[in-house]
Amino acid sequence: MKIICRLLVVTGVLFSTAGLAQQGHLNVQTEVQKEELVINASGETERRLVAAATVVPGDDVIYTITFTNISDETAENVVITNPIADHLTYVEGSAFGPGTAIEFSVDGGTTFGDLASLTVDVDGERKPAAAEDITHVRWTMQSQLQAGAKGMARFRARLN
Amino acid sequence: MTLAILPSVRTAAALRARLSPPNLLALVALIGCPWMSVPAWSAGTTAGTVIDNVASVSFDLGTVNATLDSNTASFVVLERLDVAVTLQSNQIPVSPGEAAAALLFTVTNTGNGSETVELDIDSVLGGDDFDPAPSVPAIYFDSDGSGTFSTGDVAYQQGVNDPLLLADENIDILLLNDIPDTAGDGQLGRSELTARTASGTGPTGTTLAGAGDGGIDAVFGSSGGTDVAVGEYIVADIDISLQKTVTVSDPYGGTEPTVGATLTYRVTVVVLSGGTATASEFVDPVPENTTFVANSIRLNGSAMSDAADADDGEYNANASPAVVVRLGDLTAGDGPQNIEFQVVID
Repeated sequence: MKIICRLLVVTGVLFSTAGLAQQGHLNVQTEVQKEELVINASGETERRLVAAATVVPGDDVIYTITFTNISDETAENVVITNPIADHLTYVEGSAFGPGTAIEFSVDGGTTFGDLASLTVDVDGERKPAAAEDITHVRWTMQSQLQAGAKGMARFRARLN
Repeated sequence: MTLAILPSVRTAAALRARLSPPNLLALVALIGCPWMSVPAWSAGTTAGTVIDNVASVSFDLGTVNATLDSNTASFVVLERLDVAVTLQSNQIPVSPGEAAAALLFTVTNTGNGSETVELDIDSVLGGDDFDPAPSVPAIYFDSDGSGTFSTGDVAYQQGVNDPLLLADENIDILLLNDIPDTAGDGQLGRSELTARTASGTGPTGTTLAGAGDGGIDAVFGSSGGTDVAVGEYIVADIDISLQKTVTVSDPYGGTEPTVGATLTYRVTVVVLSGGTATASEFVDPVPENTTFVANSIRLNGSAMSDAADADDGEYNANASPAVVVRLGDLTAGDGPQNIEFQVVID
C-alpha cells in the first residue's frame, strides 16, 4: 500500500482496472496453462495452450507473464521476477521474453546470473548449478517500455 | 520311553518336505531364497495440492521506483491413478500334487493420492507347460511379512477387504496355487496377479471427473490404472533317501537301552533322482529323555563342532534340541553323505 500511496502523490491519478490484481503504472498478469497436442483439419499435430485444468505429477505447465505500461510515461529498467513455486522444477532452456535478458537465481533471489555461472553448495563443495536448482527467473528489459506498450515473459516448469 | 525320532532333510523351503514312504523324502530344490525388496517409488506431488504463482515487476517511472505483484495464477494437482505389481519370488520349485504353493508379489500405489486397489489371479496362461489351479482362496495378504504363506495371513476378498493404499504405499500379496498331480519333472506353470485401481482403468491421460481424493478429478497415469506381474512354478521333484541306524552301548558293556546307555545314530543321505537339492539341511531332533553327547557330530568321518560356526554341523541346544548338518547343494553325483552323532539315555 505504501507504494501505491506514493504513486498517488506523484501523479495524482489512481488507475483502477477492474479484475486486475493490482493497480499502478504497470499492470502485470500471470497465467498458468498446459500444452495440449491436437490434430488439426490437415491431419497435422499442433500444440496449443489450454487452461491448466488437468495437471498431474510429471506434467509441464507454462507460465505467461504479461506486463503493460498503463501510465502516460515511459517506464525504464523494467524487470520481471518470477519465483519457481514449491513442487515445480524449472525446465531448462524454456524461459523466453522478447527484448529481455534472462537470468536465474539459485539462492532464493539474492543473486542472479547465467545458469552456467551459478554454483550451488553440495556437501560443502561448490558445484555447477542445474535447472532443478533454480529458485527464480528474472527478465530485464533491454529497452524502455513506452506508455501503452506491452511485454511478455514465459517459462515452463515441471510438476514434481 | 520312546526313542522314535523323526529326522528330516530340508531345503531352505523346509515346509514343502513330505515323507513318502517313511525313509524316502520327496524334496523340492529351492533355487535361491525369495526375498523382498521394496523399490523406491516417487509418486510426486500429493493430489489436491494447490500450486500458486505470483510474478513481480519493478520499474522506474520518472523519479519513482516501484515493484508490483501480479495476480496469483493457481492450479490444483489432480490425482494420478497408477499402480505397479512386482514379482518378488524367484521361480518357485514345486512337486506334483503340492497344495498352496505361494508366489510373492508387491503391489504399489504409484499414484499421488489414496487409492483402493482390487486384485485378481489368473493361472490359465500361455507360455507354460501346465496350469496351476488357484487354491481357495487364492489371494492372501502377507500379513506377517514373512514372504511365505503362513497361518495368520489374511485371505483377500474382492469388494470386501480391498486394500486402501496411500500414495507410494505398497503391500505384499501371496498367490496360492495347487500343482496338478500330472505335472512332470522340469515343467513350468505360470500364474499372474493383476491389480487395478477401484476408480477403474483407462487410457493414459483420460480424466475421471470427481474420482480423485476429496472429489477432485483423477487422471490415468502411464499404467492406465492397472498392472500385472507373472510368477512361475517349476516342478523339481527330487527323491532323497534317508536311512538311519542306531547302535546301543550300555555302561555294562552290553547293548541294552538302559539309563546311561550311549546311542550312536548313523544316517545316510543320498540323492536318488536327477536334479539338485539346493541348500539341503539335515535336521534331527534329539529324542526326549536323552542328552546329546557334546562334540559327537561327524559328517563323512570329519568331526563338527557343536557351535553354529564355519563348519557344516551344529547342535541347537534350545527348547527342542536338534542336530543340524548342512549338506549344501546335493546331487546324485555327490554320493552318500554319512552323518553320525551320539546321545545318552537319561
